[in-house]
Order: sequence, then structure tokens, then C-alpha cells
Amino acid sequence: MTTATIPRANGAPPTPGRRKRPRHPVRRTLLYATLIGTSLLMVGPFYWALSTSFKPSADVFASPPKWIPDPWTLGNYKDVFTLLPFGRYFLNSVIVTGSIVGLNVVFDTAAAYAFAKLRFPGRNLLFFLLLVTLMVPFQVNLIPLYRIMVKLHEISPALGVNTYSAMILPGAIQVFGIFLMRQFIASIPDEILESARMDGASEFRILRSVIFPLAAPGMATLAIFTFLGAWNDFLWPLIVTNTDAVRTLPVGLALLARKNTVNWGDTMAGTALVAAPMILVFLLLQRRFIEGLTAGSVKG
Amino acid sequence: MVPAYVLIAPAILAAGVFLYVPIVFSGYWSFTEYSGLGAAKWVGLGNYTELLGDADFRKALFNTFVFVLLGMGIGPVLGLLSALLLNQSARLRGFFRAAYFIPVMTSLVVVATIWKIMLQEEGIINQILSVFGVPARSWLDGTTTALPSVVATSIWQGFGFETVVFLAALQSIPRDYYDAARVDGAGYWQQVRHITLPSLRPTIMFVYIIGIIGSFQVFDQIFVMTAGGPINSTRTLVFDLYERFNRLNLGEASAVAYVLLAILATLSYVQIFLFERRR
Repeated sequence: MTTATIPRANGAPPTPGRRKRPRHPVRRTLLYATLIGTSLLMVGPFYWALSTSFKPSADVFASPPKWIPDPWTLGNYKDVFTLLPFGRYFLNSVIVTGSIVGLNVVFDTAAAYAFAKLRFPGRNLLFFLLLVTLMVPFQVNLIPLYRIMVKLHEISPALGVNTYSAMILPGAIQVFGIFLMRQFIASIPDEILESARMDGASEFRILRSVIFPLAAPGMATLAIFTFLGAWNDFLWPLIVTNTDAVRTLPVGLALLARKNTVNWGDTMAGTALVAAPMILVFLLLQRRFIEGLTAGSVKG
Repeated sequence: MVPAYVLIAPAILAAGVFLYVPIVFSGYWSFTEYSGLGAAKWVGLGNYTELLGDADFRKALFNTFVFVLLGMGIGPVLGLLSALLLNQSARLRGFFRAAYFIPVMTSLVVVATIWKIMLQEEGIINQILSVFGVPARSWLDGTTTALPSVVATSIWQGFGFETVVFLAALQSIPRDYYDAARVDGAGYWQQVRHITLPSLRPTIMFVYIIGIIGSFQVFDQIFVMTAGGPINSTRTLVFDLYERFNRLNLGEASAVAYVLLAILATLSYVQIFLFERRR
């Protein structure tokens, strides 16, 4: 009876680190029921959105609910692409996010290397001045940043509001990223750097040939962290763009959701298009993502 | 020495232009009347006294505190309970962890859009609730139900993050502690109270600091789900700021930003103080 509910037999030796496994079959069944119930609660809404995106509009609020679309249609997806330039939004999101991730990985790591391993006058003060800004919420900078972007656009139409630069530049370097990488680089032994210096390598050479390879896992964490933040960013891209040519996915979707209260199928198709790439990337790189996002939480 | 300055130059330049200059300017503008066109006109504390008497702002301040208290009162507790449960399951832990984490990865706009449709009067939530005899209502259109609905959506989105962070911390507690407690005859809840919770203190602090700072800045869900309505019942500080900004009231919007900064700075100070004292 027990083996019916728990497929893997008890023969395997207990794995270290797994503690307090309830041995009572009823308790164990309750435990898994709760866990599965919670999972359904977390995944269910996504399933519902996906299922709704394939329904004709008459079926969206059908009672009793249609868990599987019947009949199903691709009409909502066609509508979304005619209502809004979703392909363009997607491309914009890729360009903006890709640039922000690339810039952060290089420049945060470079600065972190200097702060972690090089001695120079003002080092501690400058690092402190950077860290202090972590206390300031983004909304405090929002309005002056917007004004800066307006000015920049007046100077050069290729820059500032309604261009990629407006979304990329303020996020190009993150203090938190420098902080994270500094912790990481601090654990690289000085001897390795010393021997590189003995061989006549410049600091830039060391950064490229020693730090980048050795700090790669940290840089991967930083990249994931930055990717998520930039891909999902909403308030700043919302404020600093007003044309579809440069809008990103979240902004496009929010405007669709606000505008389109008649046909929810369309909105759900848009939602699925925005959510699906991220969820797929996550499922592929699950472990890295979870470790990346929770980095620093346990050991500080 | 010179290479060091070259390496940090981009970071220092960016911090100067995109952090320090804006912080100073929004501080200055919070004491002025400024529309973005023409010059800023000094009005002293005018914007702040204006806000104090402004019904919209007061409602936004109140709602933001309700949002933070409700969300932070419930969310991390659920996350911790779920982590305790997950920690007991040897099998499929990775599967559950991934399932819980999907909303964390998804943009808040996506999450808010999905919940918006589920919370409609004819929506799936009412259809499920009707099985239990709960009458259907339009959750986002009621002044008493809109804010709790947004809170619930936000808790749902953050649940996986809290669970995973707590789970990681639980797994780093040495097993010997529990073995010793069991030898002494401590039951499950006694172990939780005397071993788990004290060991988790830094993690609990972390989750609350991150959570509180994030919650005070709530915006995306509000923008998508309710646009501050009905009748301001979901207006929050950042939404208030956004609206003043849209009305080209840059002085008042800057003042709202500085109120937010003051609240967060005070809270950080209190949290650090509490944390240091407890240690």
C-alpha cells in the first residue's frame, strides 16, 4: 500500500542532508498532497492563461470553465500581432536586455577587480560612495533621469528619450553587481595575480586573462541577475518611451492589458508570448537561476 | 595605480551621472514648482505641506502601508511554512522548487495581467469559489476588495522566492543540532522553535529587508490591475508619483520620491539597529 503512493522503494540508503522525513504513510501522503496542491496553485494560473489564449472569445468566461480549449483557435495570436508589433517589442527587449547584461558583466567586473585587488588612494571612500546609493530607491532618480534623457535627445536625436540608449545607459552599471563581483574576486588567491604581474602582464591583461576566466561563475550569476531585472523592468521603460519602435515587451503587454478589456483571449495570447521565452530559459537553466537570484541570501 | 582608476572610471562616471546628479536634482526640485519647461521656482517646503493636506497623497501613503503590512505579514510566513514542508520531502524537491519559482521569474506585468483576468466577475476564481457557495463579485472593482486582491497577487508572485531562500537556509543548518535535540526528546515544533528559527534569523532579516523595500515601491501590479482605482482605493506612493509626473508636476513628484526615500532610510536604520542589537 505504501509503495503505491511512494514510487521509489525504501531500499536506498538514507541520503545525508535529508532529515525528518515523515515515515508515517498518512503524514507522508498529506505532505505530498500539500506540496502538489501548492504547485498547482503556482503553475495553474499560467496554464489557465495559456489555455485561454487558444479559446474563441465566447469561451473565455464559459461556465463551467473549459480547462481544455474546445474548439481551439489561433485567432488570438493573429489578433495580437495585428493589434501590436509584438515581434518588434521582442526584438527591442532582446537588444536592451542584451546590452545591459553585456555592459554590466564587463564593467562591474572591471570595477570590482580594482576594488577587490588593487590599492589606490580613495579606494575605500569611492567604494563607500557607491554602496550608499544602494539605499536610494530608483524612484528618487526617476524624474531627473528623465530630464537628462530629454536633454540628451535635444543634443543628439540618436540618444535620450525614445531611443535604446535611454533604457540601456542608466542600467549599464549596477552598484549591486560591483558589490557581488567584489566578494567573488576577493576569494581569488593573490599569488595567481602576483605571478601574472611577474610575467609582465598589465592590469588589463590580468583582468582579461586571469580574472574573467576565474570569476566566470560569479559573472554568470551577475548575468542572470541582470537579465531578469532588465527583461522584466517596467516603470523606467514605460516612462522613457512613447513609440512602438523602441518599446519593450512588458510595456507593450501592459498597454494591451489596459486598453483591451473586451477580448481577454487576445490579452492572454500576448501574455503567453511574453512569459513563454522566460519560462523556457528558466526551465533549461533552473539551478543557475535559482542560485543566481538567491545569491548572497544565506552567507551574506 | 593609474590602471585602477581606469578600471573604476566607467562605474564612477555612471554613478555620478545616473545616481548622484539625479539624487541632488530631485532633492532640489522637491522644493520648487517645476514643470520641466522653463525654470524651477523655489517654493521652500511648499510641496511637502501641499502633500500633507492632499487627499490623493494621504490615501496613497495609507494604502502603501496597508500593502506592505499585509504582504509582509503573510508572504514570508507562508514562504517559511512551505520551506519547512519542502525540507521534509526527499523526492521531487527540485520539481516543487522549480514550480514555485516560475512566478518569480515572470515579469510582474505578466503576473498582474493573468490575475486581472482571473479576478473578473465571470472569471475562474469566482467560478471556483462558487463551488464553496461564495457569491461572485468583481474583485478589482470593489473599494474594499481591490487592494487585498493586489496584495494576494503580489504574495503569490513572491512566494517562490521566499520559499527557496528559506529552503537554502534550512539546508545549511547542521544536522547535529537536530540529532542532539532529538536525543534530548524535543518534538518537531520544539526543534523548529529552538533550533530552526534562531538559525534562520539572518535569513528572516534578509527576506524582510528585501521584501519591505520592494513592497514600498509597488507599482507594476497597480498600473496593470487597477490603475489606482476604484476611487483611489489602490493608489500607492509610486503610483501617486507617476501621476504627478504625468501631470508635469515635477516638484510635487520629487517631493513624493523624497518621502519614499525618508521612509525607506528610516526603516533601514531601524532594521540595522534591531539586527545589530540582537546579535
